[in-house]
Amino acid sequence: MNAVLDVRNLDVTYAGGHRAVHDVSFAMAPGEMVGLVGESGSGKSTLGLAVMRLLGTRARIAISSRVSLEGRELLDLDEREMCAVRGRLMSMVFQEPAAALNPVMRVGDQIAEVVRLHGERSRGAALERAIAMMERAGVPQPGRRAFAYPHELSGGLRQRVMIAMALVLQPAVIIADEPTSALDVTVQAQILELLLQLQRESGTAVLLITHDLGIVAEACSRALVMRAGALVEAAPVDQLFRAPAHPYTAELLRAVPRIRKSA
Amino acid sequence: MSGAPLVSVSGLRVRYPERRRWRGTGDRAPAAVEDVSFEIARGTTLALVGESGCGKTTTARALLRLIEPDSGEVRFDGADLLALHGEALRRHRRRMQIVFQDPFTSLNPRLSVGEAIAEGLQAHALADGEAARARVAHVLTEVELSEGDAARYPHELSGGQRQRVAIARALALDPEFLVLDEAVSALDVTTQARVLALFSRLTAMRGLTVLFIAHNLAVVQQVADWVAVMYRGRIVERASAERLFSAPRHPYTQALLSAVPVPDPAVRPHRTVLPDEAVAGPPPAGGCPFFPRCPHPSKDAACLAGHPPLADVGAEQHVACVKGL
Repeated sequence: MNAVLDVRNLDVTYAGGHRAVHDVSFAMAPGEMVGLVGESGSGKSTLGLAVMRLLGTRARIAISSRVSLEGRELLDLDEREMCAVRGRLMSMVFQEPAAALNPVMRVGDQIAEVVRLHGERSRGAALERAIAMMERAGVPQPGRRAFAYPHELSGGLRQRVMIAMALVLQPAVIIADEPTSALDVTVQAQILELLLQLQRESGTAVLLITHDLGIVAEACSRALVMRAGALVEAAPVDQLFRAPAHPYTAELLRAVPRIRKSA
Repeated sequence: MSGAPLVSVSGLRVRYPERRRWRGTGDRAPAAVEDVSFEIARGTTLALVGESGCGKTTTARALLRLIEPDSGEVRFDGADLLALHGEALRRHRRRMQIVFQDPFTSLNPRLSVGEAIAEGLQAHALADGEAARARVAHVLTEVELSEGDAARYPHELSGGQRQRVAIARALALDPEFLVLDEAVSALDVTTQARVLALFSRLTAMRGLTVLFIAHNLAVVQQVADWVAVMYRGRIVERASAERLFSAPRHPYTQALLSAVPVPDPAVRPHRTVLPDEAVAGPPPAGGCPFFPRCPHPSKDAACLAGHPPLADVGAEQHVACVKGL
């Protein structure tokens, strides 16, 4: 496979000795949407942060681990080089946009900041790109809402702003960590639809971290299942739901509450 | 509904105090709960569903008088709860207990499990000393923990175990009525499935009457006999769980049901995606509150004539929509 993101033997240990990610390997093809599922504490968020190199000094990534993005070895980069990667080649969408956005900065400026940090000199041109991206992300009246502060927007619109920020430089990979979990179910449907549409348009590969198997079934082509830091199953979604190979996957599938149309 | 209701609520209205803005005149805060009525028959479970801010928790708190409603009537086993004060109210409180969503914040970190459970017994002077210890041991086994867990502290327990402690704490007082406010929402699916199974066993065994508040419709279908759907402070549809899931009549209920992701890749659900509330704009004064977001093809001026009343459409199904009739 011509992988855009290739993770080999990723092993993460927190200060204090907890081994949160345990020898995990997987690869993603360009434009693919892959679900990463597991329960709280299974290591899925740690994995996402490790790939983004956002864990800082509280965690140690084993020396044998490899993360390559478009053939470039990320774990060998220094922080300055990594800053050039984040946002431009790979970006992240977090669960709680209210916490991830800067509360005292207008949302248009926050998106424009990404553009400027990666080389755009003109303030005006950066803001224009931010507004154009907000429009693609389905923010109505983006020219006006660019001047809003996060608290002036609804949860759904804030998440659209986060997605605009992640996609504005057309990265090859997005890591979306529970992007719809904090949202109401009708808003969740809007955001999921948006992610799928933008992913199709821009050919960005998405690693969708979630605890909701329903979202995986609807949005992803492949799924990875984590438990206690280890990858227990990786399979195409159809196969995973029809014939789970690992007993834990089967247990998860049995536990998911489903709506029966005729009682 | 058949049988005498244990709980009956009519015309409940709660309005939070006016929001003051830093500048300007401030918003006149809309009522959080408006004209909410329902009954819960003994031994049955009514689920109150809706999205965040729709007023489901406010309704439950007002009915327990944890906050004071502005108007309306709440009857518990025939007694007018809103007229009770002091000792009489306290006596009724023992019979109504609540379990909250987050067992990480609802348990006092400085009390051991045993102390937390015994606290209610002492407050209501039901048991003390050895009798209290025996009662604690009994409810702990009822929620499938062990007697030895009485000595442990919340931080030593997992999320699922903590929620069992919160349930044990409520059950220790032998209540007839239990409010479960998003009591399984914070739990992982495998834990959630086990706690839901525990609920079903306990409510059947003790004949409990339950108000189950949740936003997850799939969970609701597992536990509820009746369902009331709230939107912007009002009940927009109320029916038996069977009717509501098989033949929802309100466009909001239909959209809510269609929005739930289906954990089966072979099923491509037909989805009604509602516009964002902030985008659709505020509801018209005096008209149907759902009007700006409503996907109903024949919505028209008739929807704006007034608040659609919750009307009986047969088979004990009530719908607040002039087009859903």
